[in-house]
Amino acid sequence: MFESGDVGEILVYSLILIGIAFGAFFPLAFIYSMLFGGLHQSKMFKRLLARERHVATLVGGDNIHTLSTPISLDKITQSSLVMTNITVGPSWWQLFLGGIKSIFGGNIQSFDKILAYGRSEVVQRLREQAIGEGWDEVINVRVETAMVMNKIKGGQQNKLGTLEFVAYGTGIR
Amino acid sequence: MEMMTSNIETIPGFTITKSLGIATGSTVRAKHIGKDILAGLKNIVGGELKAYTELLMEARTEAIGRMMMDAGQRGANAVVNVRFATSSVAGGAAELFAYGTAVIVTEG
Repeated sequence: MFESGDVGEILVYSLILIGIAFGAFFPLAFIYSMLFGGLHQSKMFKRLLARERHVATLVGGDNIHTLSTPISLDKITQSSLVMTNITVGPSWWQLFLGGIKSIFGGNIQSFDKILAYGRSEVVQRLREQAIGEGWDEVINVRVETAMVMNKIKGGQQNKLGTLEFVAYGTGIR
Repeated sequence: MEMMTSNIETIPGFTITKSLGIATGSTVRAKHIGKDILAGLKNIVGGELKAYTELLMEARTEAIGRMMMDAGQRGANAVVNVRFATSSVAGGAAELFAYGTAVIVTEG
C-alpha cells in the first residue's frame, strides 16, 4: 500500500513529466515543420503533376471546361452535377512566416504555394471523378474558395488558416 | 423518379416547361474535437486535412439532398443552375448551402 505522501510524490512527478513532454513537443514540432514541411509539399506537387499528365494522356487534352455548352460532344443523353472538394492548410512554419510577413504587408509567398496546390488538386480531382463516373465532359466548371472552421470567439480568426476549395460542374455523356 | 441536377441553365436534352421557384437546402456542421486536434497535428507539415475534406463533402451532399427534397415537395423533377455557398457560423461550425431553380422538364 502507498502512503499518502507517496501518492502525492507520484502525482507531482507525473505532472512534471507531462509538462516537459508538452513543453518539448511544440518547439520540436515547429522545427520539424520548418525542416520537412517544404519537402512534404514538394512531394505532393510532384504526385499531382504526375496525375495531371496521366489524365491528359488518357483523355487527350482536358475533359473539363468552363463553357456552358459542350465542345466535343454532339448529342447529350445524360447529365448530372459533379462536385469535389479539398481542405488544405499551411504548415506551422508557413503560418509563422505569413504572420511575420503580414506585419509589413506584401506578397505572402508561403501561402501562395499551398493555395496553388489546393486549387490544382481540386480541379484534378474533378477530372478524375468525371472519368470514374463515366462522364465524357464536365461543362460549366466553377471553383469556389471558402474559409472554414473559423474561430470567431476570442478574436482569433481562422487560427489554422484552413481553406476549402470546391469544384463543381455538369457532367455530360 | 430521380431528380436531375445541373449547374447550367437547362438540363441537356430536355425542355423546361414550368418554373417552381427556388429550391434551397442547408446544413450546419461542427467539427469533432478529436478530429480538430488531429487536423492541427497534420498541419505541422501542411497539406490536405482529410478529416475536414470528408466532413464538408458529407455536409454538402446532405445540403444537396435537402435541396432536392425541397424541389420534390414543389413537384419538380429537376433542379437547374445549382450554386453553393459556404459560410462560417459560430466558432468552428460551417454552414453549407445549396440552391437552385426547381423546374419541371419534359424530354425533347
